[in-house]
Amino acid sequence: MSYFVDALAGATSLITQFDPETYQIVSTSLFISIIATLIAASLAVPAGIVTALNHFWGKGILQHLLNTLMAMPTVVIGLLLYGMLSRYGPLGHWDLLYTRTAVIIAETILIFPIIMNLTIAAVNAADSRLVPTLRSLGARGWQIAWHTAIEMRFAIIAAVIAGFGRAIGEIGAAMMLGGNIEGFTRTMTTAIALETSKGEFETGLALGMLLLLVTFILTFSLSWLQRSRS
Amino acid sequence: MTFAYQLQHIQVHAGSQCILDLPKLDIPAGKLIALLGDNGAGKSTLLNLLALTTQPSQGEFTLAAQPFTPTTSKQMQRQLGYVAQQPYLFHGSVENNIQLALKLQGSPREHNAALVQSALEQVGLTQLANQSAASLSGGERKRAAIARAIAHQPKILLLDEPFSHLDTTSRKQLTQIIQHYASQPEHTVIFSTHDHLQALSLTDDVIYLNQGKLAPAPRLNLFHGSQQQHVFDTGKLKIEIPQGPQKTNYIAIDPKQIVISKQALHSSMRNHFLGRLILIAEENNVIHLTVDCGENFHVLISPQSLESLDLSVGKELWLSFKSNAVQCF
Repeated sequence: MSYFVDALAGATSLITQFDPETYQIVSTSLFISIIATLIAASLAVPAGIVTALNHFWGKGILQHLLNTLMAMPTVVIGLLLYGMLSRYGPLGHWDLLYTRTAVIIAETILIFPIIMNLTIAAVNAADSRLVPTLRSLGARGWQIAWHTAIEMRFAIIAAVIAGFGRAIGEIGAAMMLGGNIEGFTRTMTTAIALETSKGEFETGLALGMLLLLVTFILTFSLSWLQRSRS
Repeated sequence: MTFAYQLQHIQVHAGSQCILDLPKLDIPAGKLIALLGDNGAGKSTLLNLLALTTQPSQGEFTLAAQPFTPTTSKQMQRQLGYVAQQPYLFHGSVENNIQLALKLQGSPREHNAALVQSALEQVGLTQLANQSAASLSGGERKRAAIARAIAHQPKILLLDEPFSHLDTTSRKQLTQIIQHYASQPEHTVIFSTHDHLQALSLTDDVIYLNQGKLAPAPRLNLFHGSQQQHVFDTGKLKIEIPQGPQKTNYIAIDPKQIVISKQALHSSMRNHFLGRLILIAEENNVIHLTVDCGENFHVLISPQSLESLDLSVGKELWLSFKSNAVQCF
């Protein structure tokens, strides 16, 4: 028990004394996750809205595919991208393996189906009178999509936050594609795994606490948004 | 005569079922028109078609003499205001809702403040302009939706069951708003209702739908019976009817063409019946009487007539009407 208490005290000290290495890891994690979320959201939200508002052949299959991709293990995405980006892979000449860009690409791919699927669900959950009302007021095409997004903004923001939560907590792809390089691609999750394996439980615990703090801020933001909506 | 709409061979299908079938329908411009029919008669479908939110499965129609095509629908929409039976209001204030409608209609931004103010004044919601739409009562929601629909000053206002689920006060307010809008030149107002008396209390121009098709007349004071020359026998009353070439088994009498009096009238009217007043009700500032003369007759009179005749339930009354007031079918 004292081992755990000592580790907790050490972790708290690392956080409160603004240990540069710890905060470097946190900032790397946040940078990668935020960029991946912004890219994924800018593609997945419009795609989700268009998919939800239109009927087309293969829509059911697309939604099944998205559901499958939502549950896809991150190491599988890491493995596939590793094959693509490694020196002998088809995209090896891009020289992206063990870079932040590679991790961002992996996390973008990982969270795209989550954000798109949750956006589709958000638009489907909109009041059935919304689109006919917009149409009766003269809205057409992109105006209907835009104003539907505005009306459902809280649910769509929740979808984006869920994607961010998935990105920041991801380890498999980050480890395989980022290589856990100190000061460059080392994220909170890869660092926790590394420090724990090295026996540096204090550092691992400090990063774990910070990861929990980020998660807490996310869930708090979500419930705050839901309260605002109601 | 100018027409707000002219419909030709219109059909609307839901799956394989034809829910609206109108070989020809001309709707005159500049009038207050009631779209009457029972639930499921196709009123909402027709209103949605007129509001350009539903497209016909086949047929064609014009709006203000302009043929409708999907490419012209956006431009034509500017001539329309549509209020659904249970209108959806966007998040934000009443004013935000009206502003958004004006934006979608492409109204120049510099005019919007004046248009918003005018719309709010017309529906009496100036005080609630900044109130959240979600906090409005049922009647206020309807008025806010009407303000949103008329803000861009459309020539045609379409209202789907505007009086449903409203209390008496809200119905009166709404009646005044509708009548005021319809009274302005070139404005056409079309509203749907399933209540015959409500329709007739607001307007004489009624389109009657039955099972998705046009039917000849609103069937109030509808009686079944047999005809012998120019007399129709309901079994309880003998009613003089206009002489026609065909035998008829049903007749209907327009409630506005029935004259009531305390004494028997000596006039050219051929039908006179003594009855007992069993119901007095008010609808849209029109008094609705039900008189039992063996058969129950519905009669519509003005509040002034009610006051001058000093009527009360249980009193005896004479009903008189011309044989020409009787529709036979």
